[in-house]
Amino acid sequence: MKTLQGIPAVTGIALGVAHVIKPLAPITAATQRTCEEEIARLTAALNSGKAQLATLQATMTGETAEIIATQHEILDDPELYEQSLALIQTGISAEAAVTQVIDQFAQQLASLPDPYLAARADDARAAGRRIIAELQGITQSLQFQEDVILIAQDLSPAEVAERDLSHVQAIVTEEGAATGHLAIVAQGWGIPTIVGMAGIMASIENGQTLVVDGEYGTVTIDPDEATRTVTHTRLAHLQQQQKEALQYRDRPGMTADRVPVAVLANIGSLADARKAVEMGAEGVGLFRTEFLAANGIPSEDAQVAYYTEIAKVMPLPITIRTFDIGGDKPVPGLNIPPEGNPFLGWRGIRLGLDRPEEILLPQLRAILRAATVGNFQIMLPMVVAPQEATQTRALLDQALSQLEREGKPARRVLLGIMVETPAAALTLDHFRGLIDFASIGTNDLVQYTFAVDRTNPRVQARAQPLGLATLRLLAQISNSGIPISICGQLAADPQAIPLLVGLGIRKLSVAPASIPKVKQLLASQTLEEMQAKIWQALRA
Amino acid sequence: MQKEHLIMSMSEQVFEQSVIIGSKSGLHARPASIIVQKAKEFPCQIDFIKAAKTVNAKSLLAVLTLGAENGDQIIIRANGEKADQALAALVPLLEENLG
Repeated sequence: MKTLQGIPAVTGIALGVAHVIKPLAPITAATQRTCEEEIARLTAALNSGKAQLATLQATMTGETAEIIATQHEILDDPELYEQSLALIQTGISAEAAVTQVIDQFAQQLASLPDPYLAARADDARAAGRRIIAELQGITQSLQFQEDVILIAQDLSPAEVAERDLSHVQAIVTEEGAATGHLAIVAQGWGIPTIVGMAGIMASIENGQTLVVDGEYGTVTIDPDEATRTVTHTRLAHLQQQQKEALQYRDRPGMTADRVPVAVLANIGSLADARKAVEMGAEGVGLFRTEFLAANGIPSEDAQVAYYTEIAKVMPLPITIRTFDIGGDKPVPGLNIPPEGNPFLGWRGIRLGLDRPEEILLPQLRAILRAATVGNFQIMLPMVVAPQEATQTRALLDQALSQLEREGKPARRVLLGIMVETPAAALTLDHFRGLIDFASIGTNDLVQYTFAVDRTNPRVQARAQPLGLATLRLLAQISNSGIPISICGQLAADPQAIPLLVGLGIRKLSVAPASIPKVKQLLASQTLEEMQAKIWQALRA
Repeated sequence: MQKEHLIMSMSEQVFEQSVIIGSKSGLHARPASIIVQKAKEFPCQIDFIKAAKTVNAKSLLAVLTLGAENGDQIIIRANGEKADQALAALVPLLEENLG
């Protein structure tokens, strides 16, 4: 028995069998083989990949089956084959040739205005990875007949999307941060997840039994009998709790004395929006748009189409956060220089306002246009000063008059900010009249308040999400006279919820899977009890 | 080899027709897959042309890059053996609403 420690990303427990996704080796263009040998390798890889996909396709239904069918069609694509052959004949390896051809197609697809077609760029890249894996003798499993715990170096959203998650009990990755894409996707689905677990790839082999504890971020390899028994008990307990929470799914959020507290969803994609509706969300409190920009900033028309699709799924109010992009999440085509400290760098609204024509203006125009169909409002990330809201308002006015001149229907929407810097928290009253609402991003607010890098496990324990410093800031924010909601991880924390509601916050935005649990907790206490808790905590 | 080629070109005929995309969601992955699979059943060279762009109708990746939407006009051109039959099979598929 051996226990490893990582960064907890999604809470929950699993006891199961490891399935290790082996990483691809780096690709080099140079090759010792002849052209004929490289061509033979490519042909064999394509045939083997196609055979696997055909078997898989036969057993699948629905969206996953379609993803697999598209993958099969791409592996069978004559242009991919012919163009790769031509490149191999210039003396490069099959891997490099396939990568080049796929990249070209993916870039062309990503630049199409239609978001569905643009998303096919991910399909092309996924097919490329599959071919490379075949060339390197690695088999990629996409579907599992039995429950597994996925172990990987890292998983991109596309690699998660192409997999059938129904038998995935837990996910553990060597890399990644608690706030990375994988964590956010897994949170939406309620799959226990641990990221940033150094040494996991070297420590685990396929088929080993593991206990994954998403609450504490530990993985126990080959657990002994006592550990298994404890885990079984905890699992049974958790399942019972989940069953009880589900009864609250379709009720509006309210305290025990029936004071309404809306429970909204944090989403990042159409799939999340569907999950949010399924779990009883009373709107979307945070729509992260960064996913849309994974392959470059999408065109205005593509954004309008995507936002419209989301609105069709979710008829209730949707708060869209403008691109929170920075040096830590490179976006193709933007050329953001690498920074020593991207969390304190050129990101969020700073980048958006400094490069409005490329980033912020097209997004504002897209939201204003989509607002003729959906109930949208705009939220700005990483704000530190009122003039950032003023400047954005000017851009909004500009966008509206442009759209009017162009004869494109648009509608003015509410504007709000994320309160995630101490500067914004301490001066929020100065934003009165400039913004319609504010939402507290507790993850970043805690990180900036305690000066603790949230991606660094060594210092993690020094941050106190419910410490006096945080609570005093929260109290200050809630006295600003601006309607406040919360969209960070604290909003789903059972310890934090009474304190937040006690401070007067009436909107909590959480991962879709957490919604029933949050509603259940709200219903367990009266407002008076919650107020007593926060006053006691603040007096401490 | 030379002779065969000659015979081929004598029997070769280029067939071309303009069609309006009937699929509600345009040439998306699923409609495009169905059409590409049909195109692969024919030995001739088949191209789709939209605006100035010409792509191989047997390549899903290439067909997707057309970005053809519902109501868009494209030209289908078949060249070679069974070109007439290819056209006869593909035109209705392109005009049909495949989803």
